[in-house]
Amino acid sequence: MEDAKQSYDLIVIGGGPAGLSAAIYGGRAKLRTLLINKGALGGMVDTTREIVNYPGTINVSGPDLMRDFIKHAESFGVTFLKDEVVSTDFAHDRKKVTTKKKKEFSAKAVIIAAGNEPRLLNIPGEKELQGSGVAYCATCDAEFFEGEDVVVIGSGDQAIEEGMYIAKFARKVTIIVLHDEGILDCNKVSAERALSHEKMEFIWNSTIEEVLGVGEDSVEAVIIRNIKTGKSTELACQGVFFFVGMIPSTRFLQASGLEMDSRGYIPVNEQMETNLEGVYAVGDNRIKYLRQVVTAASDGATAAVAAERYIEEQDDFHMNVLQSQKKVLLLFFDAFNQESLELSALLEEVNLDLPENYRIVKIDMATKKNLARKYQIEKVPSVLLLDKGLEIKRLDCYLDKDKLKSQL
Amino acid sequence: MSLRQLDAITFEEKIYGNEETCLIIFSRKSCHVCKQVVPVLEELQPKYEGKFGFYYVDTEENISLFQRFSLKGVPQILYFDSGEFRGKQAGLVDEEKVEGKIATILEA
Repeated sequence: MEDAKQSYDLIVIGGGPAGLSAAIYGGRAKLRTLLINKGALGGMVDTTREIVNYPGTINVSGPDLMRDFIKHAESFGVTFLKDEVVSTDFAHDRKKVTTKKKKEFSAKAVIIAAGNEPRLLNIPGEKELQGSGVAYCATCDAEFFEGEDVVVIGSGDQAIEEGMYIAKFARKVTIIVLHDEGILDCNKVSAERALSHEKMEFIWNSTIEEVLGVGEDSVEAVIIRNIKTGKSTELACQGVFFFVGMIPSTRFLQASGLEMDSRGYIPVNEQMETNLEGVYAVGDNRIKYLRQVVTAASDGATAAVAAERYIEEQDDFHMNVLQSQKKVLLLFFDAFNQESLELSALLEEVNLDLPENYRIVKIDMATKKNLARKYQIEKVPSVLLLDKGLEIKRLDCYLDKDKLKSQL
Repeated sequence: MSLRQLDAITFEEKIYGNEETCLIIFSRKSCHVCKQVVPVLEELQPKYEGKFGFYYVDTEENISLFQRFSLKGVPQILYFDSGEFRGKQAGLVDEEKVEGKIATILEA
Protein backbone atom coordinates (compact mmCIF):
# COMPACT_ATOMS: atom_id res chain seq x y z
CA MET A 1 0.00 0.00 0.00
CA GLU A 2 1.11 3.51 -0.66
CA ASP A 3 2.06 5.57 2.32
CA ALA A 4 -0.90 7.92 2.73
CA LYS A 5 1.35 10.63 4.11
CA GLN A 6 3.40 10.76 0.90
CA SER A 7 0.43 10.54 -1.44
CA TYR A 8 -1.35 13.64 -2.73
CA ASP A 9 -3.87 14.68 -5.35
CA LEU A 10 -1.67 17.48 -6.65
CA ILE A 11 2.03 18.26 -6.35
CA VAL A 12 3.25 21.73 -7.28
CA ILE A 13 7.00 22.07 -7.89
CA GLY A 14 8.10 25.64 -7.19
CA GLY A 15 6.90 28.38 -4.86
CA GLY A 16 6.92 31.57 -6.92
CA PRO A 17 3.71 33.37 -7.95
CA ALA A 18 2.79 30.68 -10.52
CA GLY A 19 3.25 27.78 -8.10
CA LEU A 20 1.55 29.59 -5.23
CA SER A 21 -1.44 30.51 -7.43
CA ALA A 22 -1.74 26.89 -8.57
CA ALA A 23 -1.64 25.82 -4.92
CA ILE A 24 -4.31 28.38 -3.98
CA TYR A 25 -6.65 27.08 -6.70
CA GLY A 26 -5.78 23.45 -5.91
CA GLY A 27 -6.39 23.94 -2.20
CA ARG A 28 -9.66 25.74 -2.80
CA ALA A 29 -10.82 22.86 -5.03
CA LYS A 30 -10.23 20.60 -2.00
CA LEU A 31 -7.39 18.77 -3.70
CA ARG A 32 -4.79 17.43 -1.27
CA THR A 33 -2.02 19.73 -2.45
CA LEU A 34 1.71 19.60 -1.72
CA LEU A 35 3.97 22.48 -2.74
CA ILE A 36 7.69 21.63 -2.87
CA ASN A 37 10.07 24.58 -3.00
CA LYS A 38 13.84 24.50 -2.72
CA GLY A 39 14.64 27.94 -1.37
CA ALA A 40 12.69 30.75 0.20
CA LEU A 41 9.08 30.96 -1.02
CA GLY A 42 8.24 33.74 -3.45
CA GLY A 43 10.62 32.89 -6.28
CA MET A 44 12.15 35.69 -8.31
CA VAL A 45 9.47 38.09 -7.04
CA ASP A 46 11.07 37.83 -3.63
CA THR A 47 14.08 39.61 -5.13
CA THR A 48 12.04 42.49 -6.56
CA ARG A 49 12.07 45.68 -4.55
CA GLU A 50 9.06 47.31 -6.11
CA ILE A 51 6.07 46.04 -8.10
CA VAL A 52 3.83 48.69 -9.59
CA ASN A 53 1.81 46.72 -12.15
CA TYR A 54 0.08 43.94 -10.26
CA PRO A 55 -3.56 44.93 -10.86
CA GLY A 56 -5.34 46.23 -7.78
CA THR A 57 -2.08 46.77 -5.93
CA ILE A 58 -0.63 50.16 -6.79
CA ASN A 59 2.78 49.72 -5.19
CA VAL A 60 4.09 46.80 -3.20
CA SER A 61 7.44 45.14 -2.53
CA GLY A 62 8.01 41.67 -3.98
CA PRO A 63 8.42 39.98 -0.58
CA ASP A 64 5.24 41.65 0.78
CA LEU A 65 3.16 40.56 -2.20
CA MET A 66 4.51 37.01 -1.94
CA ARG A 67 3.79 36.90 1.80
CA ASP A 68 0.12 37.44 0.94
CA PHE A 69 0.20 34.71 -1.74
CA ILE A 70 1.71 32.29 0.82
CA LYS A 71 -0.86 33.20 3.50
CA HIS A 72 -3.59 32.72 0.94
CA ALA A 73 -2.35 29.23 0.00
CA GLU A 74 -1.99 28.31 3.68
CA SER A 75 -5.59 29.35 4.32
CA PHE A 76 -6.73 26.68 1.85
CA GLY A 77 -4.81 23.92 3.60
CA VAL A 78 -1.90 23.55 1.20
CA THR A 79 1.05 21.53 2.60
CA PHE A 80 4.47 23.16 2.12
CA LEU A 81 7.74 21.28 1.95
CA LYS A 82 11.16 22.84 1.77
CA ASP A 83 13.19 20.48 -0.38
CA GLU A 84 14.38 20.17 -3.95
CA VAL A 85 12.93 17.81 -6.54
CA VAL A 86 15.83 15.99 -8.21
CA SER A 87 14.04 13.36 -10.29
CA THR A 88 10.59 12.46 -11.52
CA ASP A 89 8.66 9.50 -12.90
CA PHE A 90 5.71 10.63 -14.97
CA ALA A 91 5.16 7.38 -16.87
CA HIS A 92 2.23 6.10 -14.79
CA ASP A 93 -1.16 7.34 -13.59
CA ARG A 94 0.41 8.16 -10.24
CA LYS A 95 3.22 10.60 -10.91
CA LYS A 96 6.25 10.28 -8.64
CA VAL A 97 8.82 12.84 -7.55
CA THR A 98 11.99 12.24 -5.55
CA THR A 99 13.68 14.97 -3.54
CA LYS A 100 17.24 15.77 -2.61
CA LYS A 101 16.52 14.61 0.96
CA LYS A 102 15.58 11.26 -0.59
CA LYS A 103 11.86 11.52 0.05
CA GLU A 104 9.36 10.18 -2.45
CA PHE A 105 5.94 11.64 -3.11
CA SER A 106 3.22 10.72 -5.54
CA ALA A 107 0.21 12.53 -6.93
CA LYS A 108 -2.47 12.23 -9.57
CA ALA A 109 -1.27 15.44 -11.23
CA VAL A 110 1.90 17.54 -11.14
CA ILE A 111 2.29 21.24 -11.90
CA ILE A 112 5.82 22.39 -12.73
CA ALA A 113 6.51 25.97 -11.67
CA ALA A 114 10.27 25.79 -11.22
CA GLY A 115 10.91 29.24 -12.67
CA ASN A 116 14.23 30.36 -14.05
CA GLU A 117 17.62 31.47 -12.82
CA PRO A 118 20.31 33.93 -13.87
CA ARG A 119 22.38 32.83 -16.84
CA LEU A 120 26.13 32.73 -16.34
CA LEU A 121 28.41 34.05 -19.09
CA ASN A 122 31.06 31.49 -18.16
CA ILE A 123 33.94 33.82 -18.89
CA PRO A 124 37.31 33.73 -17.12
CA GLY A 125 37.18 35.35 -13.71
CA GLU A 126 33.40 35.24 -13.40
CA LYS A 127 33.22 32.26 -11.08
CA GLU A 128 36.56 32.77 -9.35
CA LEU A 129 35.76 36.34 -8.30
CA GLN A 130 32.14 35.79 -7.22
CA GLY A 131 31.73 37.47 -3.84
CA SER A 132 34.96 39.36 -4.38
CA GLY A 133 33.53 41.90 -6.80
CA VAL A 134 31.48 39.76 -9.19
CA ALA A 135 27.81 39.91 -8.21
CA TYR A 136 24.33 38.99 -9.44
CA CYS A 137 22.08 40.73 -6.92
CA ALA A 138 22.03 44.49 -6.46
CA THR A 139 19.76 44.38 -3.42
CA CYS A 140 22.24 42.07 -1.71
CA ASP A 141 25.51 43.65 -2.69
CA ALA A 142 25.18 47.20 -4.07
CA GLU A 143 26.05 48.83 -0.77
CA PHE A 144 29.44 47.13 -0.71
CA PHE A 145 30.48 49.28 -3.67
CA GLU A 146 30.01 52.66 -1.99
CA GLY A 147 32.08 55.27 -3.84
CA GLU A 148 33.53 52.73 -6.29
CA ASP A 149 33.36 52.09 -10.04
CA VAL A 150 30.96 49.35 -11.09
CA VAL A 151 30.32 47.70 -14.44
CA VAL A 152 26.89 46.26 -15.28
CA ILE A 153 26.43 43.83 -18.16
CA GLY A 154 23.04 43.71 -19.87
CA SER A 155 20.29 46.12 -20.87
CA GLY A 156 17.03 44.40 -19.91
CA ASP A 157 14.66 45.63 -17.19
CA GLN A 158 16.69 43.96 -14.50
CA ALA A 159 20.07 45.27 -15.69
CA ILE A 160 18.92 48.87 -16.03
CA GLU A 161 16.79 49.02 -12.90
CA GLU A 162 19.40 47.29 -10.75
CA GLY A 163 22.03 49.53 -12.37
CA MET A 164 20.16 52.60 -11.17
CA TYR A 165 19.95 51.11 -7.69
CA ILE A 166 23.70 50.46 -7.69
CA ALA A 167 24.24 54.09 -8.79
CA LYS A 168 22.84 55.20 -5.42
CA PHE A 169 26.02 53.85 -3.85
CA ALA A 170 28.67 53.62 -6.54
CA ARG A 171 30.70 56.57 -7.85
CA LYS A 172 30.04 55.54 -11.44
CA VAL A 173 28.09 52.77 -13.15
CA THR A 174 29.13 51.72 -16.65
CA ILE A 175 26.56 49.66 -18.55
CA ILE A 176 27.85 47.34 -21.26
CA VAL A 177 25.21 46.98 -24.00
CA LEU A 178 25.24 44.63 -26.99
CA HIS A 179 23.11 46.92 -29.17
CA ASP A 180 23.72 50.09 -31.16
CA GLU A 181 23.89 53.43 -29.37
CA GLY A 182 20.64 54.40 -27.65
CA ILE A 183 19.01 50.96 -27.82
CA LEU A 184 18.20 49.27 -24.52
CA ASP A 185 16.07 46.13 -24.03
CA CYS A 186 14.35 47.50 -20.94
CA ASN A 187 11.05 49.40 -20.65
CA LYS A 188 10.95 52.99 -22.00
CA VAL A 189 10.49 54.69 -18.63
CA SER A 190 13.59 53.06 -17.17
CA ALA A 191 15.56 53.64 -20.38
CA GLU A 192 14.89 57.39 -20.33
CA ARG A 193 15.81 57.67 -16.68
CA ALA A 194 19.00 55.65 -17.13
CA LEU A 195 20.17 57.47 -20.27
CA SER A 196 19.94 60.82 -18.52
CA HIS A 197 21.33 59.58 -15.19
CA GLU A 198 24.38 61.60 -14.21
CA LYS A 199 26.24 58.65 -12.68
CA MET A 200 25.57 56.24 -15.53
CA GLU A 201 27.64 55.72 -18.64
CA PHE A 202 27.08 53.38 -21.56
CA ILE A 203 29.40 51.37 -23.77
CA TRP A 204 27.55 50.23 -26.90
CA ASN A 205 27.99 47.26 -29.28
CA SER A 206 30.01 45.51 -26.64
CA THR A 207 30.25 42.53 -24.36
CA ILE A 208 32.77 41.50 -21.76
CA GLU A 209 35.22 38.67 -22.20
CA GLU A 210 37.11 38.50 -18.93
CA VAL A 211 37.07 39.76 -15.35
CA LEU A 212 40.53 40.59 -14.07
CA GLY A 213 41.29 40.30 -10.39
CA VAL A 214 44.06 40.64 -7.87
CA GLY A 215 44.30 36.91 -7.24
CA GLU A 216 40.85 35.82 -6.14
CA ASP A 217 40.49 38.62 -3.61
CA SER A 218 39.23 41.58 -5.61
CA VAL A 219 38.21 42.77 -9.05
CA GLU A 220 40.46 45.35 -10.70
CA ALA A 221 39.17 45.53 -14.27
CA VAL A 222 37.12 43.97 -17.05
CA ILE A 223 38.08 43.36 -20.65
CA ILE A 224 35.43 44.75 -22.97
CA ARG A 225 35.16 43.62 -26.56
CA ASN A 226 33.47 45.70 -29.22
CA ILE A 227 31.51 43.20 -31.32
CA LYS A 228 31.56 45.47 -34.39
CA THR A 229 35.27 46.27 -34.49
CA GLY A 230 36.45 43.17 -32.61
CA LYS A 231 38.70 45.44 -30.53
CA SER A 232 39.25 44.71 -26.85
CA THR A 233 39.81 47.35 -24.19
CA GLU A 234 40.41 47.23 -20.48
CA LEU A 235 38.21 49.20 -18.08
CA ALA A 236 39.23 49.54 -14.44
CA CYS A 237 36.48 48.82 -11.90
CA GLN A 238 35.97 47.32 -8.46
CA GLY A 239 32.67 45.57 -9.14
CA VAL A 240 30.92 43.71 -11.96
CA PHE A 241 27.21 42.86 -11.94
CA PHE A 242 25.94 40.31 -14.45
CA PHE A 243 22.35 40.59 -15.70
CA VAL A 244 22.56 38.64 -18.94
CA GLY A 245 19.17 37.04 -18.96
CA MET A 246 17.70 33.92 -17.48
CA ILE A 247 17.61 30.20 -18.14
CA PRO A 248 14.75 27.89 -17.06
CA SER A 249 15.40 25.78 -13.96
CA THR A 250 14.27 22.59 -15.68
CA ARG A 251 17.45 20.50 -15.74
CA PHE A 252 15.98 18.03 -13.21
CA LEU A 253 13.36 17.14 -15.85
CA GLN A 254 15.81 16.10 -18.55
CA ALA A 255 15.07 12.36 -18.16
CA SER A 256 11.33 12.82 -17.53
CA GLY A 257 10.17 12.48 -21.12
CA LEU A 258 8.79 16.00 -20.93
CA GLU A 259 9.11 17.96 -24.14
CA MET A 260 11.37 21.02 -23.90
CA ASP A 261 12.89 23.45 -26.38
CA SER A 262 16.65 23.77 -26.92
CA ARG A 263 16.96 26.20 -24.01
CA GLY A 264 14.94 24.03 -21.62
CA TYR A 265 11.61 25.91 -21.73
CA ILE A 266 8.50 23.70 -21.71
CA PRO A 267 5.86 24.12 -24.41
CA VAL A 268 2.23 23.91 -23.24
CA ASN A 269 -1.24 24.43 -24.71
CA GLU A 270 -3.93 26.81 -23.51
CA GLN A 271 -4.71 24.52 -20.53
CA MET A 272 -1.00 24.51 -19.53
CA GLU A 273 -0.87 20.82 -20.48
CA THR A 274 2.55 19.45 -21.43
CA ASN A 275 3.07 16.49 -23.76
CA LEU A 276 2.54 14.20 -20.72
CA GLU A 277 -0.95 13.56 -19.39
CA GLY A 278 -1.55 15.02 -15.94
CA VAL A 279 1.63 17.12 -16.04
CA TYR A 280 1.36 20.90 -16.41
CA ALA A 281 3.94 23.68 -16.72
CA VAL A 282 3.31 27.26 -15.55
CA GLY A 283 5.11 30.56 -15.07
CA ASP A 284 8.63 31.44 -16.14
CA ASN A 285 9.72 27.87 -17.00
CA ARG A 286 7.27 27.58 -19.89
CA ILE A 287 7.49 29.10 -23.35
CA LYS A 288 5.49 32.32 -23.09
CA TYR A 289 5.17 35.87 -24.30
CA LEU A 290 5.17 37.82 -21.05
CA ARG A 291 6.89 36.88 -17.79
CA GLN A 292 5.21 38.91 -15.06
CA VAL A 293 3.55 38.20 -11.68
CA VAL A 294 0.09 38.63 -13.17
CA THR A 295 0.70 36.16 -16.01
CA ALA A 296 2.37 33.70 -13.63
CA ALA A 297 -0.71 33.83 -11.40
CA SER A 298 -2.94 33.33 -14.42
CA ASP A 299 -0.94 30.27 -15.52
CA GLY A 300 -1.18 28.77 -12.04
CA ALA A 301 -4.95 29.19 -11.92
CA THR A 302 -5.44 27.69 -15.37
CA ALA A 303 -3.26 24.66 -14.66
CA ALA A 304 -4.86 23.95 -11.29
CA VAL A 305 -8.36 23.98 -12.81
CA ALA A 306 -7.20 21.79 -15.70
CA ALA A 307 -5.57 19.42 -13.19
CA GLU A 308 -8.72 19.37 -11.04
CA ARG A 309 -10.83 18.32 -14.06
CA TYR A 310 -8.26 15.77 -15.13
CA ILE A 311 -8.19 14.20 -11.65
CA GLU A 312 -12.00 14.10 -11.48
CA GLU A 313 -12.07 12.41 -14.89
CA GLN A 314 -9.45 9.86 -13.82
CA ASP A 315 -11.27 9.11 -10.56
CA ASP A 316 -14.64 8.69 -12.31
CA PHE A 317 -13.08 6.50 -14.91
CA HIS A 318 -11.42 4.27 -12.31
CA MET A 319 -14.62 3.81 -10.38
CA ASN A 320 -17.14 3.47 -13.20
CA VAL A 321 -15.17 1.84 -15.98
CA LEU A 322 -12.00 0.09 -14.81
CA GLN A 323 -13.57 -1.37 -11.68
CA SER A 324 -16.97 -2.17 -13.19
CA GLN A 325 -18.05 -5.81 -12.88
CA LYS A 326 -20.29 -5.40 -15.90
CA LYS A 327 -19.02 -4.62 -19.35
CA VAL A 328 -19.23 -0.92 -20.12
CA LEU A 329 -20.77 1.00 -23.00
CA LEU A 330 -18.79 4.25 -23.14
CA LEU A 331 -20.75 6.95 -24.92
CA PHE A 332 -19.08 10.18 -25.98
CA PHE A 333 -21.66 12.93 -26.37
CA ASP A 334 -21.99 16.68 -26.68
CA ALA A 335 -25.00 18.50 -25.23
CA PHE A 336 -25.16 20.70 -28.33
CA ASN A 337 -25.24 17.76 -30.69
CA GLN A 338 -28.83 16.53 -31.20
CA GLU A 339 -27.78 13.23 -32.73
CA SER A 340 -25.66 12.32 -29.74
CA LEU A 341 -28.54 13.08 -27.35
CA GLU A 342 -30.92 10.88 -29.34
CA LEU A 343 -28.39 8.08 -29.46
CA SER A 344 -27.96 8.37 -25.69
CA ALA A 345 -31.70 7.78 -25.12
CA LEU A 346 -31.79 4.96 -27.65
CA LEU A 347 -28.83 3.22 -26.06
CA GLU A 348 -30.59 3.24 -22.67
CA GLU A 349 -33.64 1.70 -24.27
CA VAL A 350 -31.67 -1.02 -26.05
CA ASN A 351 -29.78 -1.83 -22.90
CA LEU A 352 -33.00 -2.52 -20.97
CA ASP A 353 -34.02 -5.09 -23.58
CA LEU A 354 -30.78 -7.05 -23.41
CA PRO A 355 -30.70 -10.19 -21.28
CA GLU A 356 -27.21 -9.42 -19.97
CA ASN A 357 -27.12 -5.67 -19.80
CA TYR A 358 -24.21 -3.28 -19.72
CA ARG A 359 -23.23 -0.33 -17.61
CA ILE A 360 -23.61 2.83 -19.66
CA VAL A 361 -21.09 5.59 -18.92
CA LYS A 362 -21.59 8.93 -20.65
CA ILE A 363 -18.69 11.22 -21.35
CA ASP A 364 -19.21 14.88 -22.19
CA MET A 365 -16.70 15.64 -24.94
CA ALA A 366 -16.82 19.36 -24.16
CA THR A 367 -15.14 18.94 -20.76
CA LYS A 368 -13.54 15.48 -20.67
CA LYS A 369 -11.02 15.76 -23.43
CA ASN A 370 -8.43 13.45 -21.85
CA LEU A 371 -10.60 10.35 -22.16
CA ALA A 372 -11.50 11.20 -25.72
CA ARG A 373 -7.80 11.46 -26.46
CA LYS A 374 -7.06 8.19 -24.67
CA TYR A 375 -9.54 6.30 -26.88
CA GLN A 376 -8.83 8.43 -29.95
CA ILE A 377 -12.40 9.64 -30.26
CA GLU A 378 -12.80 12.42 -32.80
CA LYS A 379 -16.56 12.75 -33.30
CA VAL A 380 -19.80 12.60 -31.36
CA PRO A 381 -21.63 10.42 -30.91
CA SER A 382 -19.19 7.56 -30.46
CA VAL A 383 -19.78 4.37 -28.51
CA LEU A 384 -17.16 1.91 -27.28
CA LEU A 385 -17.75 -1.48 -25.70
CA LEU A 386 -15.20 -1.98 -22.93
CA ASP A 387 -14.26 -4.72 -20.52
CA LYS A 388 -12.20 -3.45 -17.53
CA GLY A 389 -11.18 -0.51 -19.67
CA LEU A 390 -10.06 -2.58 -22.66
CA GLU A 391 -11.76 -1.86 -25.94
CA ILE A 392 -13.70 -4.84 -27.32
CA LYS A 393 -15.27 -2.98 -30.19
CA ARG A 394 -16.52 0.32 -31.56
CA LEU A 395 -20.23 0.49 -32.33
CA ASP A 396 -21.64 1.99 -35.49
CA CYS A 397 -23.88 4.76 -34.23
CA TYR A 398 -27.15 4.10 -36.08
CA LEU A 399 -30.18 5.93 -34.75
CA ASP A 400 -32.08 2.69 -35.14
CA LYS A 401 -32.89 0.39 -32.25
CA ASP A 402 -32.46 -2.90 -34.12
CA LYS A 403 -29.27 -1.93 -35.86
CA LEU A 404 -27.81 -0.90 -32.53
CA LYS A 405 -29.02 -4.02 -30.77
CA SER A 406 -27.58 -6.33 -33.40
CA GLN A 407 -24.09 -5.07 -32.55
CA LEU A 408 -24.40 -6.09 -28.90
CA MET B 1 18.41 25.43 15.24
CA SER B 2 19.39 28.96 14.34
CA LEU B 3 23.07 29.86 14.02
CA ARG B 4 24.85 31.62 16.85
CA GLN B 5 25.48 35.29 16.04
CA LEU B 6 28.90 36.79 16.44
CA ASP B 7 29.95 40.42 16.79
CA ALA B 8 33.45 41.89 16.57
CA ILE B 9 34.29 40.90 20.16
CA THR B 10 32.94 37.32 20.14
CA PHE B 11 34.45 36.83 16.68
CA GLU B 12 37.91 37.64 18.04
CA GLU B 13 37.35 35.32 20.97
CA LYS B 14 36.17 32.28 18.95
CA ILE B 15 38.51 32.52 16.00
CA TYR B 16 41.76 33.80 17.45
CA GLY B 17 41.28 33.21 21.21
CA ASN B 18 39.86 29.69 21.24
CA GLU B 19 41.20 28.93 17.75
CA GLU B 20 37.96 27.16 16.95
CA THR B 21 37.53 25.03 13.84
CA CYS B 22 34.46 26.61 12.35
CA LEU B 23 32.62 28.43 9.58
CA ILE B 24 31.02 31.85 9.68
CA ILE B 25 28.38 33.02 7.25
CA PHE B 26 28.42 36.72 6.48
CA SER B 27 24.85 37.66 5.68
CA ARG B 28 22.33 40.48 5.75
CA LYS B 29 18.58 40.75 6.18
CA SER B 30 17.75 42.12 2.72
CA CYS B 31 19.57 39.35 0.81
CA HIS B 32 17.40 36.63 -0.72
CA VAL B 33 20.31 34.38 -1.62
CA CYS B 34 21.33 34.43 2.06
CA LYS B 35 17.82 33.28 2.94
CA GLN B 36 18.49 30.17 0.91
CA VAL B 37 21.97 29.43 2.24
CA VAL B 38 21.41 30.08 5.97
CA PRO B 39 18.84 27.23 6.34
CA VAL B 40 21.30 24.83 4.68
CA LEU B 41 23.82 25.63 7.43
CA GLU B 42 21.18 25.45 10.16
CA GLU B 43 20.32 21.97 9.02
CA LEU B 44 23.94 20.78 8.88
CA GLN B 45 24.89 22.26 12.25
CA PRO B 46 23.66 19.41 14.55
CA LYS B 47 25.58 16.83 12.53
CA TYR B 48 28.88 18.53 13.38
CA GLU B 49 28.08 19.29 17.03
CA GLY B 50 31.32 19.38 19.01
CA LYS B 51 33.50 18.96 15.92
CA PHE B 52 32.89 22.03 13.80
CA GLY B 53 31.38 25.38 14.76
CA PHE B 54 28.68 27.24 12.80
CA TYR B 55 28.33 31.00 13.25
CA TYR B 56 26.55 33.99 11.72
CA VAL B 57 27.66 37.58 11.22
CA ASP B 58 25.22 40.32 10.26
CA THR B 59 27.25 42.55 7.94
CA GLU B 60 25.08 45.58 8.50
CA GLU B 61 25.69 45.49 12.23
CA ASN B 62 29.38 44.55 11.93
CA ILE B 63 30.84 46.66 9.17
CA SER B 64 34.34 46.50 10.64
CA LEU B 65 34.45 42.69 10.37
CA PHE B 66 33.26 42.86 6.83
CA GLN B 67 35.86 45.39 5.79
CA ARG B 68 38.59 43.49 7.55
CA PHE B 69 38.18 40.55 5.17
CA SER B 70 37.55 42.93 2.25
CA LEU B 71 34.43 41.03 1.25
CA LYS B 72 32.38 42.35 -1.66
CA GLY B 73 29.02 40.74 -1.26
CA VAL B 74 26.87 38.35 0.69
CA PRO B 75 26.36 35.55 1.41
CA GLN B 76 29.90 34.38 2.01
CA ILE B 77 30.98 31.52 4.17
CA LEU B 78 34.44 31.91 5.70
CA TYR B 79 36.27 28.92 7.13
CA PHE B 80 38.78 29.01 9.99
CA ASP B 81 40.96 26.49 11.75
CA SER B 82 43.55 27.10 14.50
CA GLY B 83 43.18 30.83 14.11
CA GLU B 84 43.90 30.71 10.41
CA PHE B 85 41.71 31.63 7.48
CA ARG B 86 41.09 28.48 5.43
CA GLY B 87 39.05 29.75 2.48
CA LYS B 88 35.62 31.04 1.57
CA GLN B 89 32.57 30.19 -0.52
CA ALA B 90 30.43 32.89 -2.11
CA GLY B 91 26.86 33.01 -3.36
CA LEU B 92 24.42 30.16 -3.58
CA VAL B 93 26.19 27.07 -2.23
CA ASP B 94 24.55 23.76 -1.37
CA GLU B 95 25.22 21.33 1.48
CA GLU B 96 27.50 19.16 -0.67
CA LYS B 97 29.92 22.05 -1.20
CA VAL B 98 29.84 23.02 2.46
CA GLU B 99 30.31 19.44 3.66
CA GLY B 100 33.13 18.95 1.15
CA LYS B 101 34.95 21.99 2.51
CA ILE B 102 34.38 20.93 6.12
CA ALA B 103 35.76 17.48 5.32
CA THR B 104 38.99 18.84 3.83
CA ILE B 105 39.51 21.04 6.91
CA LEU B 106 38.78 18.25 9.39
CA GLU B 107 41.04 15.82 7.55
CA ALA B 108 43.98 18.24 7.36
